[in-house]
Order: sequence, then C-alpha cells, then structure tokens
Amino acid sequence: MTPVGRLPQVTEEFLELAGGRVHLLRGGTGEPVLFLHAAGGAGTWLPFHGGIAAAGFEVIAPDHPGFGKSDEFPEEDSIDDLVFHYLDVLDALGLEKPHVVGASFGGWIAAELAVYAPHRIGSLTLLSAAGLRLPEHPVADLFLMPPAKIAATVFHNPPPAAPVADGPLDIDAIIAAYREATALARFSWVPFFNDPKLERRLRRISAPTLVVAPSDDRLIPVEHAKRYAERISGATYAEVPDCGHAMYFEKPEEFAAVVTRHLREHSLKEQRS
Amino acid sequence: MKFSFFHLMPYSQLPDDFDTYDSISLTYPNSNFDPAFGASLYSRYLDELEYADQLGFDGIAVNEHHQSGYGLMPSPNLMAAALTRRTSRARIMVLGNAIGIRGNPLRVAEEIAMLDLMSGGRVDSGFVRGIGWEYFGHSINPTKSRSRFNEAHDLIIKAWTSPEMFSWYGENYEYRYVNLWPRPIQQPHPPIFIPGAGSTETMKFCAERRYTYMSVYAPTSIVRRWFDGYRAAATELGYVADPEKIAFSVPIYVADTDEKAHREAQPVVEWLYHKGLKQTGEMVTPPGYMSPGSLRGVLASGLRMGGNSYEDLLANGQAVVGSPSSVTKRLSELYDELGGFGQIIGLFAIGPSTHEQVKRSAELFATEVMPVLRPLGTEGTS
Repeated sequence: MTPVGRLPQVTEEFLELAGGRVHLLRGGTGEPVLFLHAAGGAGTWLPFHGGIAAAGFEVIAPDHPGFGKSDEFPEEDSIDDLVFHYLDVLDALGLEKPHVVGASFGGWIAAELAVYAPHRIGSLTLLSAAGLRLPEHPVADLFLMPPAKIAATVFHNPPPAAPVADGPLDIDAIIAAYREATALARFSWVPFFNDPKLERRLRRISAPTLVVAPSDDRLIPVEHAKRYAERISGATYAEVPDCGHAMYFEKPEEFAAVVTRHLREHSLKEQRS
Repeated sequence: MKFSFFHLMPYSQLPDDFDTYDSISLTYPNSNFDPAFGASLYSRYLDELEYADQLGFDGIAVNEHHQSGYGLMPSPNLMAAALTRRTSRARIMVLGNAIGIRGNPLRVAEEIAMLDLMSGGRVDSGFVRGIGWEYFGHSINPTKSRSRFNEAHDLIIKAWTSPEMFSWYGENYEYRYVNLWPRPIQQPHPPIFIPGAGSTETMKFCAERRYTYMSVYAPTSIVRRWFDGYRAAATELGYVADPEKIAFSVPIYVADTDEKAHREAQPVVEWLYHKGLKQTGEMVTPPGYMSPGSLRGVLASGLRMGGNSYEDLLANGQAVVGSPSSVTKRLSELYDELGGFGQIIGLFAIGPSTHEQVKRSAELFATEVMPVLRPLGTEGTS
C-alpha cells in the first residue's frame, strides 16, 4: 500500500487477478463502500470520496478494466464480464457484502452486480446509472461529442473552458483519454449503454437501494433513474438540484451527503442482527 | 504503369447552408437527398465508368460508403454487377468491401465470386475496414474493427480457396457449414487490394500476402512514408516489392489548357476536400478504431497536414490538375517523389464536376497522358 500524495489517509493498491492487475484507491475507516466510477475520473481521489470517508466509511475505489492504472483485461468485452470481474474483486478484497455505490457507467455495473449476486450487496446506491434501454429517452452520444461539448453537456453550470494551449500537443494525455474511451466503447458501444434484459431482472435486487439523479441530466435523462426506482423493490429516489450528469464533480458535497445518509440508514451491522 | 478510373459517386448538390453541418456524412439529414436527382446521378456515373472502359483504362473502380453524400454506394457490389454487363475490357475493381462493418462476411465471399463469374474473371477485390463514422452509422463496435477485418478476410480467402466444406469458429463469426457456391473463376482467388493510411500492421499484412497496397488522399511526404513502409516490409520478408503492387490514389483533372483546367478544377477540388471530406475528429477516429501505437504515430507525425487551400492541395500532391502535358509532368514528378508506384487510381469525377467535364478529362488523360506514362512502374524500372 502506497500513500497517495499529501492525502495521508488515502492509499493506492494493486490487486492481482487472473486476467491482470486492478488499481484501486482506499481511504477512511468504517464499513466498506465499493465505489464504481463513471466514465471520467478513474484513479482520482476526489472531494466526493473524501466526503464519504470523512463520514466514517472505508471507501474502496477501483479503476475499471482499461481505465486509470488498471490493466486492459482485453478478454472482457461485455457487461457480464464486468460482473464476474467485480465478483473477483470482491473476493480478492475479502468483501463479503459491502455497500456498493456506482455512478453512470459504474452504476450500470453496480446494478448488474446486484442482479447477478444479490447476496453480495449490503446496500446499493445508483447515481444516474446507465444500463436501461429507454428508446423514448435515449442516452446522448458522448462518443460523437468533441471534448468542449461533453463539458457543456454534463455540467449544469459548465466551468469556463480552459484556454487552448499553444504549445505542442500533449500526446500522452490524448493517448490516455483515447485508451479510456476505447475501454468504455468496448462495453457500451452496442447495445448503447444498455442491457436489454436488465430492466426485467431488476426484481432480483434485494439490497436497500437509493437511486439518485441530478436535476439537469442531459446525458442520461432522469427517466432512467426514475425507472430504476420503480423497478427495484423498495428503492428510494432523490434528486440533487441544479446539477448536471457530472454529479459528484459538480456538486461533491451534496452527492457525498445524500449517499452517506443512505449508507448510515442501512448499516451493515444492523442488517446482520 | 496501370491506370484506373475510380468513382466515388458523390451527391454533388449541397444546400447554401451546408457549412452549418458538421459533415456530409452520418448526421447530414437525408431530407437533403432528392431521389429523382440521385437516380439521374447513378445513371450518369455508370455511363462514366463504362466510358472509361471504352477509353482503354485498365480498371474501373467503385467503393463502399454509408450514410453519406461523399459517396453514394452503400453496396459497391451492386454497381460492379451492373458494370459486368456493359463493359468488356477493364478490370472491375471493388475498392473495397468494408468487411470491418459487414455482419456476414460469407456474403461478401459469395458476391465477389458471383462478380468474378459474371465478369469473366475481371474482378479485383479490395477490402477496407470502413471509415470511422460508419461504425457509428451501422452500430458496429469500433474496438472490434481490426479483429473483425482480419477474421472476415481470413474467412473469405478460405471460403474462396477451400476445395471442401469447413466449419468456422472465430472471435466474431461462427459458421457450421462453409461450402461456397459459386467458386471464383480466378485462381486461387481474385487479386486483393488494401488501402493503407500509415498503419504498420497493414503494410506488413499486405507485404506478407503480396497484396496491392493503395494510398488514400494525403500529402506526398506522408504517402511516401507509407509506400516506403510497404517496401521495407517486403524487404524484411526477403523480396523486392513489385511496383505494380503499389497504387497511388489521386484526384486528376485534365483540360485542354492549364488555364481552363485550373479554372474548372478549383471549385470541384475544393468541394472534395472542404465539403466531401468535412468531418469531425470524433467521426474519423471513434474509440478503438486505431491502436494506441498507430494513434501515437499519427499525432507525432503531425496530423495537421499543412494547408488545405487549392494551392496547398496541388503542391502536396493531393490533386493533379492541368493540360495533358502538365499532368504528365506532374505525375512523373510524383512518381519520383513517392519512390515509384505501378498503378494510378485516378478520381476523375471530382465533386460537382459535370458529365462533360469528366468525359473530357478522362479522354485527354487516356489519349495523351497514359501512353507517355505507360512504361513507368513496371518491374525493373524502379
């Protein structure tokens, strides 16, 4: 375990799985929370993670295959591969039944994981999760958007655009971004960010579930979150106002607070007793 | 030197507000397509290809594009089929079938075999991966592009050449019964053409199989690197690349005088590069379409290929324009600058050029340019 930068309580680890190495960040102490990241932000400890850790939880944030510092796992190319991947991760971490929180692409993985292995999920939190096929409310095609348009789409209040650098291209940064986009496309190009069978399988989910949507989601329309909340037995639904799909990048405190409330209400200890 | 007359079959009528669209492809609304006009274009364009056969071009060539005004041939094999019945001399070159995006490569093997029989063994079979935007348009995962292309190629070659039925279990395709009827008339199979755009994997792939390696439209300095890469791959395999297996693709416009040629060519060459090839980076390079190594190579070599003005395009060898003697001279220069090649794949029907302009340009080229350049690029001359 290696401390990360000047964040004394955050450590960096690599898990050795059969197909390669998984990079993860870990911080805080308390009940374990497996956090499955969105398409952006792999390998980065954000104020959102810190907020959950500060509330008394151990946040474990792995990078998906082909993201951040995790290996490619080139044989994994579908959502069920990711389910088995994360069952391997849970086993390697010795986590029997943690809290699972997933955002966007990671929310899709979390929902599928909870469908396949409901007994491994202590509580489930889906933050504007992908995964459902709602042809009348399609997911916007981020693959066709230039970077500036992605920022304008996913933020309710987009930050001012960074000035265009005059110097030479940062080729390493471009390659790194292309690598992650490639990993994302591997799992989600077609069907496009959905599993046609997921919706009818959601009835299998038994963990206490919170579904959260940002009020102004122009990437995955809020109807997706509402459908999740309808189909998962006993799920609660919450909206974070004045926020876009960037969610915990745009409103980290609000997202940490709404997630933490759910984790506290469904303590793993109380579930066991 | 061998000469072919290549057609894209562009949809040449664009609205005044065209510049407000990202591209002529993928998302350009098909309300801009007038079927009656499209029908007249097909008729005209087939006439032009047939005329090139009569003029003595060695090959007449078509290709595949989808959801685009850049090229109106979602099925190049349909156009090739039409040409088999109305031409008698020229090779019919399908450059190529986009086997990276086809759902059923066995169908491609069947159709090319049919064309080979229908044309009396005149078919050349190009294989392409399909342009980035076509992976959006046909919902094919671009991260599988290379794997799908390679597997489809292997399956098609085996289907053409296997004397007995076989089964196929691949990463992308599974067939329990491959038993091709009809089989191609050319043995072991029709010649294969592959376009290259810098990938070292493609250079090696072509050199190993002695396939024809053809360029796509790019500045001379870049095409030179591609051709050198192909020649180096052949050398590494222990042989000298036959110049006939190197094909230079370029738009060509010939008129009676230089002045007339430039006056007529400038708007259509600008149409081709500024409108026909207008596309966003996201459309060209969807995720996984390029390997990290190839992307690094493209970025490091400076993707911005210099200017895109008419003068730049001429200077960079991305269009050849002039009187017959000027075009002959310029192509000889490019022959030297590119280290030699044995085939010119000329685009004569450029953008919105008229039928009369295309016919005249092809006539002048066939009668006054081809005879002079003919001795270049045959084995032993380079």
